[in-house]
Amino acid sequence: MRLALTKLIPLALLLAAWQAASGAGVLPKSVLPSFVDVAASLAAMVRTGEIWPHTAASLGRAGAGFLIAVVAGVSLGLVMARVRAVEQGAEPILLLLYPVPKPAMIPLFMIWLGIGDFSKIAVIALACLLPVVVATFNGARSVDDILLWSARARGTSERRLLWRVILPAALPQVAAGVRTAIAVAIIVLVSSEFISSEKGLGYLIFSFGGVGADDAMLAVVIYLAILGYLLDRFYMAGIRRLLSWHAFTH
Amino acid sequence: MRSLTRFLPLAILLAAWELVGRTGFVNPNVFPPVTEIVLRWFALIADGRIFGPLWSTLWRALAGLAMAIGCGVPLGLLMGRARWAEWFFEPLFSFGFPLPKIALIPLFVHWFGVFSLSKVMLIFTDCLFPIVLFSYHGARGLSPIYLWSAQSRGTGRLRMMWRVVLPLSLASIYDGVQVAVVVAVLVAVVCEMVSGGGGLGEMMIRSYRYGDVRTAFATLVTISLIGYALYKLAQWLRGRLLHWQLAEA
Amino acid sequence: MSEPALACLELSGVGMRYGEGDKALTALTSIELAIAEHEFVTIVGPSGCGKSTLLYLIAGFLRPTAGSLQLRGKPITKPGPDRGIVFQRYSLFPWLTVRANIGYGLAEQGTPRAERDRIVAEYVRMVHLEGCEDRYPRELSGGMQQRVALAQALACKPDILLMDEPFGALDAQTRRILQDEVRRIWRGGAATVLFITHDVEEAVALGTRIVVMSARPGRIKEVLTRDFDVGDGEDYDANPAFTRLKLRVWHSVKEEVDAARA
Repeated sequence: MRLALTKLIPLALLLAAWQAASGAGVLPKSVLPSFVDVAASLAAMVRTGEIWPHTAASLGRAGAGFLIAVVAGVSLGLVMARVRAVEQGAEPILLLLYPVPKPAMIPLFMIWLGIGDFSKIAVIALACLLPVVVATFNGARSVDDILLWSARARGTSERRLLWRVILPAALPQVAAGVRTAIAVAIIVLVSSEFISSEKGLGYLIFSFGGVGADDAMLAVVIYLAILGYLLDRFYMAGIRRLLSWHAFTH
Repeated sequence: MRSLTRFLPLAILLAAWELVGRTGFVNPNVFPPVTEIVLRWFALIADGRIFGPLWSTLWRALAGLAMAIGCGVPLGLLMGRARWAEWFFEPLFSFGFPLPKIALIPLFVHWFGVFSLSKVMLIFTDCLFPIVLFSYHGARGLSPIYLWSAQSRGTGRLRMMWRVVLPLSLASIYDGVQVAVVVAVLVAVVCEMVSGGGGLGEMMIRSYRYGDVRTAFATLVTISLIGYALYKLAQWLRGRLLHWQLAEA
Repeated sequence: MSEPALACLELSGVGMRYGEGDKALTALTSIELAIAEHEFVTIVGPSGCGKSTLLYLIAGFLRPTAGSLQLRGKPITKPGPDRGIVFQRYSLFPWLTVRANIGYGLAEQGTPRAERDRIVAEYVRMVHLEGCEDRYPRELSGGMQQRVALAQALACKPDILLMDEPFGALDAQTRRILQDEVRRIWRGGAATVLFITHDVEEAVALGTRIVVMSARPGRIKEVLTRDFDVGDGEDYDANPAFTRLKLRVWHSVKEEVDAARA
C-alpha cells in the first residue's frame, strides 16, 4: 500500500505544477484550463449525474464487444490449436485482418450495420478478437506434452483434454491476451464514438471540444483515464486470484 | 510447391468473397467483390489520386515516430539507470498507459490546428509510451558486469550511456520501435478520420460519406499495406542493425 | 513348490523402429519380457538404449512396430489408468492443488466427491504429505512433487506402476529417501512395479529382478535376480552380496557403454 502511495507523488507534483502554472498566468485559460477548473467540472458532472448515461453507453458497447471477442476468441484459439483443419482455415482470415488498423474499419462497419450501437460493438469485437485468438492459440500450443500424456495415463479421453488440461495450462497466456484486449476495446470505442454517435464518453469529449468547453472536455478525458486504469487494475486483481498457482515473475 | 499451398486457404477465401459479391447474395454496393476493389485500387494509383493522401499519412507517421525515438530512447535509458528519473517518470508512464491517447485528438487540434502538426504531435505522444517503456526495461535489465567493467576503465557517465548502455539495450529498444511503428500508422489514420486535414484516413471517411464503398475499401487496403510494409521494413532493419551491434559489443 | 506366478505384463517380440529404409532407426528389437504380479522389476542400461521407449510402449503412448504387449491378457492399445506412470519431472498439473492432483484420475473416472476425498487422504498419508494438501506444485520441492506424482498414479489403482527414472532429477539424499519410500509402498502390496534407471545401485537396491539392456538397438541382454532382501535405511555397501550383485550389473552395463562408444 505504501508503495502505491509513493508512486502517486510524481503525478501529484505534475498536477501541482499544472495548477501553479495556470494560477500564475503562465498557462492561459485559452490554451489549457487550470487543473482546479477541470476537477470542478468533473465533480459537477458526477454530482448532476450527467456522466452516468454516457458511461453506461460507452461501457455497454465496449463490454459487449469485449465479451463477444473473449468467448469467440478463446474458443477459436483452442479449436485452432487442436484441429489442424480449423487452423488452416482460420489462418488466412486472421492474417488478412492483422495488418488492418481496426479503427480504420469503422466507416465500413457503419456502411454494413448502420450508425448505431451494432456497428461499434462489431468493430470492437473484431479488434479484440485478434489478440485473444493469438494468445490462446500460442498458449494452447505450448502446453507441455508431458501434461497431456500424464492426463491420458490417468484416464482422460481425447475429447476432454481440451477442457481439463489445455485450457487451464494455457490460462496465463490467455489472460495476457485478454488484458491487451481491454486496452484495445477502449481505443476502438473512443475512435468510433468520435466518428459518429450521440451518446458516450467519446461523444462527450468530441462535442465539448467542438464548442470549446475545454475544461469539461479534459474532465471527461481524465475520467476516461481513471476508468481505464481501474478496469485494468480490477482485471489484474481478479486474474491474480485465478492464476495463484502460476509462478509470477512480476 | 509447398510454400504455394500455404496460400490455398487464402485463395479460397478470396474466391468465396468474389462469388458472394457477384451472385448478388450480398448487395455489391455494401460489400463489393474483390476484383472491383482491386480495380478501383489500380485506378486510384493510375490517376494518382492516392498518392497525395498516402504521402501525408506516411510522413506524419514517420515524423511522429522519429520524434518519439529521439526523445523516448534517451528518456527510457535515463530511467533505467538513474533512480531519480525512474522514481519520477515511471508512475507517469504507467498511469498514462491505459489512457487512449486518441481521446486527446480534440485537445491537440485545439492546440495545433487541423493539419499535420496536431497529428504528428499526437503520434509522437502515443509512440512515446512503448519506446520509453521498452528502452527503460532494456536499460534496467542490464547485467551490472558490463557497467562495472566499463567503470573500472574510467568511462564517464555520459560516455557510458552511449558506448555501453545503448548498444546493450538496443534489442529491447528495437522491440519498442516495432510496436511504435504499428501505433504510428494507426494513430495517423484515426486522427485523419476524426479531424480531417488530408491523408488516407480522411480520404476513407470522405468516400464513406459519398457512399463510394469501393474507394473506401481500396483506401483501407492501402492503409493496411503501408502498415504491413513498415512493419516488415522494421523487421528487416532489425537484422541489419542488431547484427552489427552484436559484432561490436 | 511355489505356484507359477501370474503374468501381469507380457511382451513378445516387441520392436520399435523409426523411419524407413536407410534412415531407419531401430530403438528396440525382439524384447521378450514377462512380469508377474507384485514383482519389482528394474531396467537399467546405457543412455539411448531405449529403456524409456520401452516404458512408453507399455504405457500406450507409442505403438510398437513389431510384436505385442499384453496387460493381464488384454492387448495394450492406448494410455489408461491401469498402467500408472511416474515421469521424471514437471508432470503435475500446476493449476491443481496436491489434493486435486492426486484425485485427478478418480475425478476422471467419475468417483463421487466424498469417496474421492477419502481415497486422496489415504494416499496423502501413504506418501507422507499430510499438511500439504492445499499447496500448489510450484510451492513444493522436487522430492515432494515426486511423492505427489507417485500418489497420483497409485490412486488410480493401476495393475502396474511404471516409473521413468523418477528420482533422476533429485539430490542424492532425497533420492535415497524416496527409494526407501517406494520400496515400503511396494512391500505394502500397493503395486507391481517396473522401474527404469541409469543408476546401477538404484536398480539393485529396488529391483527383485534386474533387466540389463544392450546399447542401441536395445534388446534384453540379461536378467539378474536379487535373491536377498534389502531393508530400508540399510547401508548398501556393508552387504557383500549387494556389492557383488552391483558389480556384476555394473560390468554388464559397462560392456554396453563401451560397445556403444566403439
